[in-house]
Amino acid sequence: MDSENSACGNPNPNPTLGPSKLMLAFRFLRALSLVHRTTPASSRTCRGRRIERAAYASMAYSAGTGRGWSRAVLRRLHHRARRRAVAPRRLSTTAGNRAEALRQLVPGGAGMDYCTLLEETADYIKCLSMQVELMQGIVDSSSSYGP
Amino acid sequence: MSFSARLYHPEMEKEAFWGLNWQSTDPKVPPELNSGTAAAALLPQRLLSLNWNQPMSCDAGFESAVSSAVVGQTGSICNSGEISPSSRRRGASNSCYSSPLNSPPKLNGRGALPMPINPMPGAHSVPFAAEPWFADGAAMLSNYGGGSSAGFPGQFGLPVIPANLSRVSSSKSLKTGTGSGMGAPEKGSDAGMLGPARMEMEMMTKLGGSSTPADSEPGNGQEESSVSSLRGVTDSNARKRKAAAKGKGKEASLSYAATDPFTMTEEENSDAKRSKPGEANGKMKTEQNGDPGRKQPPEPPKDYIHVRARRGQATDAHSLAERVRREKISKRMKFLQDLVPGCNKVTGKAVMLDEIINYVQSLQRQVEFLSMKLATLNPQLDDMESILSKDMFQARGLMPQPVYPAEMTSAAVSNVHQPQATPGQSIVTSLLEAQFSLNPLESSLHQSQSLQLVPLDGFTVASSQLGEFWEDDLQSVAQVGYGRDQKPAFSSQSYPGKRNGTPIFD
Repeated sequence: MDSENSACGNPNPNPTLGPSKLMLAFRFLRALSLVHRTTPASSRTCRGRRIERAAYASMAYSAGTGRGWSRAVLRRLHHRARRRAVAPRRLSTTAGNRAEALRQLVPGGAGMDYCTLLEETADYIKCLSMQVELMQGIVDSSSSYGP
Repeated sequence: MSFSARLYHPEMEKEAFWGLNWQSTDPKVPPELNSGTAAAALLPQRLLSLNWNQPMSCDAGFESAVSSAVVGQTGSICNSGEISPSSRRRGASNSCYSSPLNSPPKLNGRGALPMPINPMPGAHSVPFAAEPWFADGAAMLSNYGGGSSAGFPGQFGLPVIPANLSRVSSSKSLKTGTGSGMGAPEKGSDAGMLGPARMEMEMMTKLGGSSTPADSEPGNGQEESSVSSLRGVTDSNARKRKAAAKGKGKEASLSYAATDPFTMTEEENSDAKRSKPGEANGKMKTEQNGDPGRKQPPEPPKDYIHVRARRGQATDAHSLAERVRREKISKRMKFLQDLVPGCNKVTGKAVMLDEIINYVQSLQRQVEFLSMKLATLNPQLDDMESILSKDMFQARGLMPQPVYPAEMTSAAVSNVHQPQATPGQSIVTSLLEAQFSLNPLESSLHQSQSLQLVPLDGFTVASSQLGEFWEDDLQSVAQVGYGRDQKPAFSSQSYPGKRNGTPIFD
C-alpha cells in the first residue's frame, strides 16, 4: 500500500496512520494557490468548485493508490477532464439499504463488497476529516489576517 | 495448600491457574471434583490443572494470553490431529481440541454449571482472554479440527468457564472419560452432554469417553493420563462431535479441515446428539441437542478458515465463511464507531450506518462549504508554497534526524524576516502549529517567526523528492483546475444543479 505512495513520488512517512498531515497541507496549499492564481476572481463558484476538486485531489494523492477510494477519486479526476459532469444522483438513506447510500457517498464504493466498503469508509472518513481540519485552519488563518 | 483459596482468588490468573501450582493441587482436585455439583465448580480448575500439567508449550502460551496460547496450541494440535486421523481416541492433540469445547456442556447443563462456578472468581478472571474469544468466536483456533493437544481441554475449558459453564463440566467429563478409557464409546461420552452444547461440547464428551461428570476424578497421575487420553481421543472424536454438533447450531465454525473421518461419524453424531440431551441439565439450547434428526451433512471440505465455533452454531463451510465475514464486518464497524464522533452510545448496525452516512455527508458538505469560502477569501498564498516547501524540507529531513534542532533554529534566526511579514507566512505558521505540531523543532522555528529557512545541505535528497512530489501533484491539480480553460483534453467543468451525490464527482 505504501509502495504505491512512493510511486506517486510521495513516500508516506506514516504508513499506518494514513496520509501525513503535512503532505496533505502542502499539496492542498499548493493547489489552492494555483487555483487562485489561475481563475479570475469573478467566477467564484467556478473557483470554489475547483478548490473543492483540488481538495479531493490532494486528499487522494496523500492517501496514495493503496486505497480504493483514492484510486476512484483520481480516476474520476482524470476522466472528468474528458467528459462532462453527470447529473448528480439523489442520495437517500431511505433507499431501504443503507449500504447503497454509503456506496454512493464513498467514491468507488459501488464496486466493493460490504466488508471492503466499511474499511474504505473508515479511511475515507479519516482523510476527509483531515482535509476539513486543514481547510478550516486555512480559513481561520486567513480570516484573522485578512483585510 | 489452599487449593480452594487459590481457586477463588481473582488474582490467581493465568499464573496461578496455568502454572505448575496446579499440579500440586491436583490431588485435591479429584476428590473435590468428584463431589457432585461441587465438582462442576472445580471443573475449571481441573481443566486448568489438566491442561497445565500437560504440555509445556501450553504453559508458555498461557502466560502470554489464553487466546494466544490456545491458538498456538491448536495450531500444533490441528496438525497432529490431521495427520493421524486414525488415532481417534489416541490422538492426544485432537482430543484436547474438541474436548475443551464440548466438555463443559457435557457435564452439567448450562444452568447447573453456573452455580457452582460462581464462587470461583478466579476461574472467571482467568479466561478473560478467552472470554472475548468465546464471546465473539473470534478466537482463531488454528487447526481446530486437527489434533488437539492435551493442553487444550484445559485451555479451552478455562476460558469457557466464564462464558459457558457447561463447557467446564464437559471438560471435566472429558477428563473422566479419558481417564476411564479411551476406548469409551462416543455414546458414553455423549451421554450426559448437555443440549446447548455446541459441537465442541460433543467433542468434549466424546473425547472424554465416559461422560460421567464428576466421576472418578483421577489423581494427578490420572489427570495426566486423562490428559493424554484426551489427546488420544484425537480428532476423530472431535470430528464426530463436530459433526454431531452440526445439527445443532447455526454457524459452527470449527475448521475441520483435515478431517475426512468426519464423514464416518454420522451415526456417532446422531448418537452423540441423542445422548447429549440425556445428560443436559440446564442447557439453554437443549432442543438443539435433543433433536437427533438434526444431522448436518458431513463435515465440509477442508476449510482452513480457523474460526472457533460458538455454541449452537453450525459448522459447515458456508456458515464458517459467513461467520468470518460477519466478524470482519463487526470489527470494522467498531473501528468506524471510534472514528465517527458520538457513535459510542449508538448500538445496532442500522443506526450506526445511518450515523456514518450522516457523518460522511456532513464532512463532504463541510469541504464544499470551506472550498467556497476559500474561493472568496483569497488568502495570501503567494509565499505559501515556498514556505511550505521549505518546511517540507525541514520536516522530512529533520524527522529522521532530530539532532538538527539547534542548526535549524540558528538557520531560522539567520533568516529572520519581520515577524509575520505576510499573511501567507502567518497562515502557514498557524496552520502548522495548530494542526500538525510536527515536533518541537517546528515550534522553535515558529518562535523565530520566520519560515524562510535556507534549506540545509542535508536536505538535497528531500528536495529532489519534493520536486517529484510537486510535479505529479501539480500536474493533476493543474488538470483539475484548468479543466475549463484548456480545451483539448479537458472539457469545461460546470456543475449544473445541486449536488446530492458524491460531491464533484457526479
